Amino acid sequence: MSTDRRASWLKGVLDLLVLASLTEDESYGYEISKTLAEAGLGQIKGGTLYPVLNRLEEAGLLAAEFRVTERGPGRRYYRLTERGRETLTEQSGLWLAFDESVRAMLTKGAAG
Amino acid sequence: MSDYFDELAALLRDRGVPAERVASTIEELAGHVAESGADPEEEFGPVAAFADGLGGDTGATGDDGTAGDERTAAAGESWSWTADIFADERRLNEFGEQGWEVDRVDRRGMFVSHRDPERPQRWEYRRETVWPEGRRAVAERLAPDGWEPCGTWFLYEYFKRPGAASVGPAAEIGSPPPAPGGRLFFSARFLLILAVCVLLAVVSMWAVAGFGGSGDDGAGFAAGVATGAGVGAVAGAAAALWRLTRRDR
Repeated sequence: MSTDRRASWLKGVLDLLVLASLTEDESYGYEISKTLAEAGLGQIKGGTLYPVLNRLEEAGLLAAEFRVTERGPGRRYYRLTERGRETLTEQSGLWLAFDESVRAMLTKGAAG
Repeated sequence: MSDYFDELAALLRDRGVPAERVASTIEELAGHVAESGADPEEEFGPVAAFADGLGGDTGATGDDGTAGDERTAAAGESWSWTADIFADERRLNEFGEQGWEVDRVDRRGMFVSHRDPERPQRWEYRRETVWPEGRRAVAERLAPDGWEPCGTWFLYEYFKRPGAASVGPAAEIGSPPPAPGGRLFFSARFLLILAVCVLLAVVSMWAVAGFGGSGDDGAGFAAGVATGAGVGAVAGAAAALWRLTRRDR
């Protein structure tokens, strides 16, 4: 699979994946990138992740709180807002409908 | 602190990010590289492009898994602009005809847009007035016709679709015009309403000041209170109008 194609796929859905990674609990940048990597989405570089977090925070879909730690640098913790949760539900439904159409088409193509 | 973060901090300050936010961002990112063990430039990409992505106003969204330099190249031209509610749909379609695709509406109400530098194509836009609980139903209703959400401003939901959905390959633009010079597009109707608000404020202050000019202390005090209340009421009305008809800068 070409890296370019995978990057294109991610482009359309990374913000939803970030929102989805925060449905159960708050988290911070590095931990979110690890969660996405462990889910099989590959390593999302900080240069890509933080602008997305910034944008989602600006749009009011995430709330962020910077906390100083006793040891080491502070962390900014992100959590889903009510609006973020609504957007995730709404947009996930659209993505899954799209995924279903793609899947049906590709399955048919592979079988033929 | 590494040179990379020093430079990033300076660039973010240049882009108007508040000092406190810059400090916490740098600490957050330093923590990231401390945990990952990566080199800052390798992890975040070239510092100027990364600062653009974090600056919040450039539209360098970069959510494609690539580093900053590749991201900037892919993003093409970026432009943030706004229009009032009487002009926004018309302006969206006007700029959509020139190849501008809206990525989102930021919290200041700006349309954060970009244009593909190599193969720009036309975009169509529409605005719907929707209560938050109705957004999904509206998006589902419009999706079969190729419309996808591209931003929200209070009760206004914006949708875009590529011109190819209605005109096919003809949607590609051969030689797009240069990026518009301005960022604010206000209609005559909006400016008229604004002028009426200002006029009301001036008239109310003048009337109350005249009333308080009798030299009587009680009347002067009453005039002061009335002036404050009048100006406050007009300012409040103007702010509400601004919110509803939109966006400042």
